[in-house]
Amino acid sequence: MLSLWLGAADQGLAYAGLALGTYLTLRVLNFPDLTVDGSFALGGGTAAVLISQGAPIPFALGLAILFGCLAGVVTGLIHTRLGVNDLFAGILTTTGLYSITLRLMDRSNIPLPETPAGILALPDLGLGLDGQWAVGLTLAMVGLILLISLLLSTDFGLSLRALGNNPTMARANGINQRRGLTVGIAAANGLVALSGALVASYQGFADVTMGIGSLILGLGMVIIGESVLRPRSVPQALLAVVVGAILFRTMIAIALQLGLEPVDLKLATALLLLIALAFGRLRIPGLSDQGRLLG
Amino acid sequence: MSPSPSEPSRFGLTVSGLSWGHPLPGSGWRQLFRNFSLTCPPGQFLVVIGSNGSGKSTLLNLVAGTLRHDSGQIHLGNKPLHKLRDHQRARWIGRVMQNPLEGTCPALTVAENLRLAERRHRPARLIGGGLFAMFGGIHPNGADRRRYRELLGDLGLPLADRLDEPVGQLSGGQRQTLSLVMATLGSPDLLLLDEHTAALDPRAEATVMDLTDRLVRQLGTTALMVTHSLDQALGHGDRLVMLHEGSLIGDWSAAEREDLDPPALRAMYGAAIVAPLPSDSPNGSSAS
Repeated sequence: MLSLWLGAADQGLAYAGLALGTYLTLRVLNFPDLTVDGSFALGGGTAAVLISQGAPIPFALGLAILFGCLAGVVTGLIHTRLGVNDLFAGILTTTGLYSITLRLMDRSNIPLPETPAGILALPDLGLGLDGQWAVGLTLAMVGLILLISLLLSTDFGLSLRALGNNPTMARANGINQRRGLTVGIAAANGLVALSGALVASYQGFADVTMGIGSLILGLGMVIIGESVLRPRSVPQALLAVVVGAILFRTMIAIALQLGLEPVDLKLATALLLLIALAFGRLRIPGLSDQGRLLG
Repeated sequence: MSPSPSEPSRFGLTVSGLSWGHPLPGSGWRQLFRNFSLTCPPGQFLVVIGSNGSGKSTLLNLVAGTLRHDSGQIHLGNKPLHKLRDHQRARWIGRVMQNPLEGTCPALTVAENLRLAERRHRPARLIGGGLFAMFGGIHPNGADRRRYRELLGDLGLPLADRLDEPVGQLSGGQRQTLSLVMATLGSPDLLLLDEHTAALDPRAEATVMDLTDRLVRQLGTTALMVTHSLDQALGHGDRLVMLHEGSLIGDWSAAEREDLDPPALRAMYGAAIVAPLPSDSPNGSSAS
């Protein structure tokens, strides 16, 4: 039983990057970014190709982040320079990314049978391999929360939050909307690609379709976390997002444990998200207006 | 940085040969401004009045850069505002919007809003200075808060005690007061006030107008205020102009304005709707 909880927590931590990226685009920038569906698979595919060829995991993760950022830059430029609607811009990029990821992987699925050496080097806390993953992923997420909190507390982070909250006011105060949005979307997709790479490494394979539905998954994690922790500051909101990811994967694990057929998993996920959305109408000081986002 | 007494503004506003029009619903075109010109000398507080659709707010939007003109030139001193992007213009222009909801970020705190306005004059550089310094450093910090508390206290505003509250929790009048303080942070070269008391109750209106007068006088900033209130038009500013259908139809200095009263102005509004009045343009302005 402990293994079930620990496995779900590990998966939640691996998916937390997706939740953090979704939080950045949807909550901070107020930008519904469908690029995440493509950048999640791109990150997973990139890491799988490199790790399967013997590259060290930090290098694989770094390149996955870089590629994710580039995907975000493309969406940002399509939206801000060509004036394409936010949703269409993301769909265009994610459609193109499917072929790019497939080209990169050279096949639709890459198995990763061996646990990365970096994870095996970590202490297992008496919990075996799942414990080692938990230590590695927890350290990574704590580092990410600290880094993003600090960045959102800088002048640049403040301008990103203003852009999402009141673009008219932001422009009137000299904030470059094009640059801010593009950088923010790039950073968010870098986080999502990192999550894709971590998920591929944890589950032992990457699949070109692994990103389908990522935006809605990320949104569900964000809303579950916010509903449970009711954050009142940016660092609390980031922590809530990570907790939401863990809770979300735990609920899925429980459903499977209770006998849910894997074929019904998507339906159960959709229902879970619907419930989370219905209960998730809350406002967070310092962040975007959720009422506007959710209509 | 703060709205403290300073030298009078070195820059005046010059609008010359401005043309702007917009499509009408269905078909057709309305040419609002044709070869429009207006000069506002350095440090002058210019009040603009006119009926609905006369082009008052459009003029402000064209100067601020939120609307793009078809032709003509807009200069602040020797700076060609018409060639700059709106976020670049914002470094020299402070603006208070008509709607209190538009001029501030409701989800950010009072201190964070003030920091955004203060930062307008010092945009973050993404090169050099360490990881967080290159993103503009951590703000608002303790020193920022002390500075804002002192600034708001000096202006006699109770907001000094509410620096860490989200602006969304403030009343409309308080938000507009904050918006005005934000617009004057860093002593902008031009202050644009777009019917900034229109959504306020009489008491809040009086507070905001009193603060407006004090800040404009303290800073010596060139200011352009658009208003529908004839009382404000007759009681504030150094000069009053009246617009109708994109043309300047009246121009009075503060001394000349003494001879006017609200009924007289109201009568001009009515006359302008029938036929534009001739203008003497006593302050070097012209319109056609």
